Amino acid sequence: MVGIKDLGVGIGWRSEIDLTVERLPGVDFVEVVAENLHIGHLPESVTLLLERGVPVLPHAVSLSLGGADPVDLHRVEHLGAVAEAVGAPMVSDHVCFVRAGGLDSGHLMPVPRTKDALDVLVANVKLAQANLPVPLALENVAALLEWPDGELSEGQFLAELVERTDCWLLVDVANLYANARNIGTDPERFLDEIPLERLAYVHVAGGEQHGDIYHDTHAHAVLPEVLEVLDELCSRVAPPGVLLERDDNYPSDTEIATELAAIRAVVDKHRG
Amino acid sequence: MATPTEARDTRVSPEQVGYLAGGPQRAAETALARLLDAGLVRVSRNGVVSAVHETDLGVTTAVETGILVNLRQPVRFEPVVRKAGGSAEMRALYQQLRAQRLMRTPRPRLGAWWVFLAIGVVLALAALLQPWTLLGAIGFLAFAYWSYGAKPLTKAGRAVLEAVDADDRVLTVAVEGFRGRIRNQAVGDLFGLPQSVVKTLPRKKKPRRGKGRGAASSAGAGCGAGGGCGSSGCGSSSSSSCGGGGSSCGGGGGGSN
Ligand SMILES: [Fe+2]
Repeated sequence: MVGIKDLGVGIGWRSEIDLTVERLPGVDFVEVVAENLHIGHLPESVTLLLERGVPVLPHAVSLSLGGADPVDLHRVEHLGAVAEAVGAPMVSDHVCFVRAGGLDSGHLMPVPRTKDALDVLVANVKLAQANLPVPLALENVAALLEWPDGELSEGQFLAELVERTDCWLLVDVANLYANARNIGTDPERFLDEIPLERLAYVHVAGGEQHGDIYHDTHAHAVLPEVLEVLDELCSRVAPPGVLLERDDNYPSDTEIATELAAIRAVVDKHRG
Repeated sequence: MATPTEARDTRVSPEQVGYLAGGPQRAAETALARLLDAGLVRVSRNGVVSAVHETDLGVTTAVETGILVNLRQPVRFEPVVRKAGGSAEMRALYQQLRAQRLMRTPRPRLGAWWVFLAIGVVLALAALLQPWTLLGAIGFLAFAYWSYGAKPLTKAGRAVLEAVDADDRVLTVAVEGFRGRIRNQAVGDLFGLPQSVVKTLPRKKKPRRGKGRGAASSAGAGCGAGGGCGSSGCGSSSSSSCGGGGSSCGGGGGGSN
């Protein structure tokens, strides 16, 4: 795959705001949570967007590719089937694990940044790729903790993952900002270290500070600081696409449109 | 379209117009339409209504406040309308309309009202020869008048409805309901609502007689207007169940529900 070119600015499609997504100006593409879709019974709104020519990208949250458990190939197959149903050029999940020992965390848990953990992740990613009809992009997560004995920075970890699996990167600048606030990640160093030529697209989301912790809630407004990280990224590479994630406490159509416009302004600033 | 908070007749709000035109359920539809129009709630394709986050500042009526309070968790379209139609706020709205002498307690028409009229007329004619029958004539004519029944809208209420010019989408809902049509367009389309959502509401009754906007409106408020119908359930399930008589519950050409 040569890469996705000019996806534009998009928004995460959610059933609660389906009509909003349909009528919002300036939605160039959408992302759907693959686990929420049923093959053979796509939501009417998704079908309508496809008919309009809006690209629909499946985003998974349950492959748990960073886990030591065997990859659940049924989940991979479902993701692939969703991709085929919507004609997606790629799919994505996260660099994380969500279950272990039969327990489900309910959260996207960070992977220990050790060589051993990377080996496990690489093996799982390769297995998933072999069972997917389209390329796979992997997203950096927001972490509230760092496992001990890490051997690589987050950027180095992702760079090596890309090198060994040829996967694509989905960079979430809100997660990057959250990690900078919570665990001291340096966003600029992160952006220096990852192979930006393998950037599939970018996530932007809102959150809020609770005491000492910044929570990547996807239920609050996008902070200017997050847009600054996007700005930093755009100063290095023209992202093929940037997508706003909003999962709860949905604001008015006007507010959502304003956030999309703010994202577009940052992207366009660097396109001259 | 502009967001109206009052109908042309400044004494009545769109909600009140809705009540006059179609009873408590229509008034509830109107309140929901106003909230949609103001961007305070949204509806999804699968018919789930949710409050727009942190934007309850534009609420203008108690019924609207009641709807938003019930939308702390998303609720399906039809129950939102049904619950608002049966709310204490809606009963207060009805009392306002009564206080404004736009509505009154409806009285069902007795099927045999004309028999009392005929007897009264005969006795009145007989009074020309036998004056003592005049007393009976008066009694029968009075009873005929009473048994003829009374529609829930007063003359003033009907006049308000006649004067309504539904030139914006909220007033259009008040007059026609979400399930109605105006100028060959489904009213729900004015709000971008899928028909699958709109059709979860009870079907709008066709007028049995009369024609035109005024006629359709004049009896529409029957359901829910009277104490019997109250605001409990006419619109929601069986509009004929309230009041029993034809005129009190959508009979006589009501546009309600
Ligand atoms: Fe994300």
